[in-house]
Amino acid sequence: MNKKYDAIIIGAGVIGSPIAYELSRMGYKTLNVDKLHDAGEGSTAGSCAIVRAHYSTADGVAMAYEGFKYWLDWENYLDNVTDEKGLARYMNTGSFLIKSQGHDWKKVKKNYDEVGVRYEELDNDKIKEMVPPADLHEFWPVRRPEDPKFFDEPANEVEGAIFCPEGGYVNDPALSAHNIMRAAEAKGAEFLFNAEVVDIRSEDGKVAGITLKDGTQIDAGIVVNVGGPHSFKINKMAKGVWEGCNIKTKALRHEVMYCPSPDGYDYLNDGYHMSDGDIGCYVRPEVGNTFLIGSEDPDCDPQEWVDPDDFYAGKGGHGKDNVLTEEQWKAQCYRLGKRIPTLQVPNQPKGIVDLYDCSDDWIPVYDKSDLPGFYMAIGTSGNQYKNAPVVGRMMAELIDACEKGLDHDNEPFQYKFKHIDRSTDVGFFSRKREINYNSSFSVNG
Amino acid sequence: MQIYVCVKHVPDSAVNITIVDKNSIDENITFLLNPYDEHAITEAVQIKKNLPGSEVIAVCLGKTDARNTLRSALAMGADRGILIVSENGCDSIETAKALKAAMEQDGSPGLIFTGRESIDAEGMQTMFRIGALFNFPVATNVVKLDIEADRAVVNSELSGGTANTYDMSLPCVIGAGRGLNTPDYPTFRDVVNSKKKPIKTIVFSELNIEASLTGANIIELEPLQQKREPKEITGDKAVIAKEIVKILRDKAKVI
Repeated sequence: MNKKYDAIIIGAGVIGSPIAYELSRMGYKTLNVDKLHDAGEGSTAGSCAIVRAHYSTADGVAMAYEGFKYWLDWENYLDNVTDEKGLARYMNTGSFLIKSQGHDWKKVKKNYDEVGVRYEELDNDKIKEMVPPADLHEFWPVRRPEDPKFFDEPANEVEGAIFCPEGGYVNDPALSAHNIMRAAEAKGAEFLFNAEVVDIRSEDGKVAGITLKDGTQIDAGIVVNVGGPHSFKINKMAKGVWEGCNIKTKALRHEVMYCPSPDGYDYLNDGYHMSDGDIGCYVRPEVGNTFLIGSEDPDCDPQEWVDPDDFYAGKGGHGKDNVLTEEQWKAQCYRLGKRIPTLQVPNQPKGIVDLYDCSDDWIPVYDKSDLPGFYMAIGTSGNQYKNAPVVGRMMAELIDACEKGLDHDNEPFQYKFKHIDRSTDVGFFSRKREINYNSSFSVNG
Repeated sequence: MQIYVCVKHVPDSAVNITIVDKNSIDENITFLLNPYDEHAITEAVQIKKNLPGSEVIAVCLGKTDARNTLRSALAMGADRGILIVSENGCDSIETAKALKAAMEQDGSPGLIFTGRESIDAEGMQTMFRIGALFNFPVATNVVKLDIEADRAVVNSELSGGTANTYDMSLPCVIGAGRGLNTPDYPTFRDVVNSKKKPIKTIVFSELNIEASLTGANIIELEPLQQKREPKEITGDKAVIAKEIVKILRDKAKVI
C-alpha cells in the first residue's frame, strides 16, 4: 500500500522547506521530496541570498520588508530548533540603491514611503565617505567589453543613492534551508532525498500523489510544485497544469563572480550590499574579503535558456553549461572595476553558475492550479530568496483556504502580513495574470 | 634591458574538457593566460620598475585567438606583444625554436621568462630548450630572483620542499614558480591603457625554422577522472581543527 500524506512538497530548497514548516504547524502531515541529497543543495545553494527591499511594485517592497523581520529574528522564527550544522546568519550590512538610469529609483522611493521602509537619501560625498574606493561617475548605459564604447571616459556623476540601514545577505543560503527543514521536522514534517519525481498522478480530476523514478508511489491530496529551475517540467507532469498557466516558467542560466576586494579595503567587514543599475551589477561581501558580483540582467547581455537536467550535468558547451565564461567574467568584473577603480581582476574566472526559475514577467507564481489539489510556488527568478519565510506562510494559508473551499481564482486570497500592518492580494501572483509590465523584467523583480 | 616573457594560451582549468578524435580537445571553451606565466609577467614588470629604460615583451605561439592571452599579459604590465600564429600544434622543439627566432628577430633578450610549466601539456621543457638554443643558463621553479648588475641570483625550489640558490650570468632563462610573487592583476584602468599597446603578428612559416629531424606527436589523450571522496572529520573541536590544519598543510599544501 502506498504511503499517504496530507501534502507532498516537491523540492526542499529555501521555498519548499518553509511551506512544509508552516503547513506542519497548521497540522498537515507533509513530505518534501527532492532529487538531491539534502535541503537547499539545488539552486538555493547558488543564490546570492541578498536581503533588500527595493522592488518595482509596492507589493514587492512590502513582501521583502516583511521578510526582513524573519531574518532579523531567525532563531525565534525557527522556534529555537537545533540544527547540527549550526544556524545561517543574516548579515545586516545596510543596502545601497544607486540613483541612476538603471533603476526606476523614484518609483522605489514612492514604494518605500507607501510601505514605511526606513531609508535615507545620500549625496555622492556621503557615499564616498561610506564606500571610500567608489568612483561615482555615471557609466550608463550598460555595455559589454566587446563594445568599443564600453571604454569611453565618463563625464557626469550619478545622482546619489537611497540607503536602507536594513538590508544585507544571508551568509549560507543552503544552510538556511537546512535550518528550516530541521524546524519543520520538529513539527512532524518528513523529508525524502535522492528521490526524483517522474509523474504527478491524478484521479477523478484531482491530484492523487506522485510517482518516483524507482517506481515508488506516494499518495497525497495536495501536491505543491516548488521545483525551482525544474518547475516547468513538474508542471508538465500534472494533467492540465502547464496548459492552464498564462504565465510560464523556464530555466535561465546565470553567472555570479567572486573578485578579491582591493588591498586596504575590508569589504567583508566594512562593505555594504549595493544595487548599481548604472553598471548593471549588484554586489555584496563574501568570505575571503571578496566582492560577490551579480548581474542585473542588462539588455546587452545574452540570455541562455537551458534544460536544467542538461545544465546540471555539465552539458551544452561554452556559455550554456555550468562553467563560468571569460566573456561574462570580464563583463561583470570590468563593470564593477569602473565603480571600484582599484579592483584588480584576476585572469581566471571564479564564481558560481546556476539557474533562475524565471517567469515570463520575472514575478513569481504563487497559486493554485487548474488541477484541484495541485499548487505552485515557482518562477522565483533569482529574487525571492529573501521572501522565502513569508512565502512559506502565505502558501500554507493559501493552500489551507483553497482546501476549505475558497474560490481563489475569482475571490483572490488576501494575505495579512504578520510583522507589518498590511495585506497583500495573492491574486497578484496568479498563473492566470497577464504579463505585469510594471515589473523590472530582471533580477530586481 | 629587453625582458621577454614567453606566455601560453591554455584552457581554463575549471572548464569541462571534451576530447575529440582521440588526440585533441574541443576548443570551444575558455582559454586563459597560463597561470605560471602570470608570475613571470609580474616579476618582469617589477624588474623593469627597478631598471629604468627596460622593456617587457610578451611572446606567444598559438592560434589567432591567443591574442587574448597577449592582451591579458599587456593588461598586467607588459609593454608590447608578439604573436606567432600557427594553426597547427607545435611540439616543444618547434615551440622553442619559434620563440627564439621571434625574440631574435625582435631584439636582444637580456632576460627571458617562461612559466614553470603550462597547465595543459605540462611539458616543462620550453625554458630548457630556449636556454639550449641561446646557450643561456636556465633555472626553473624559481621562487626568488634578484638581478644584480650583470648577474641573477635565483632561488629554485626542488621537490620535497628543498631549494637551491644559483648565481647565473645574464642573459639567462627563468622558469617562474608559484612562490615567486603574487600576480599583480590589472585594474579596469590598466585594461583600458593596455588596449593602446601594440601586438606584432608573425606567421610561423615566415620565421623559416629549419625542420627538425625529430619530433613528438600526441597519439592519444585520456581524460583524468578525479573522484571526490568526502570524509567526515569527527571528534571535539580541537581535534577537528588540528586535522583540518594537517590536511591543509600536508595534503593540499596551501599552508
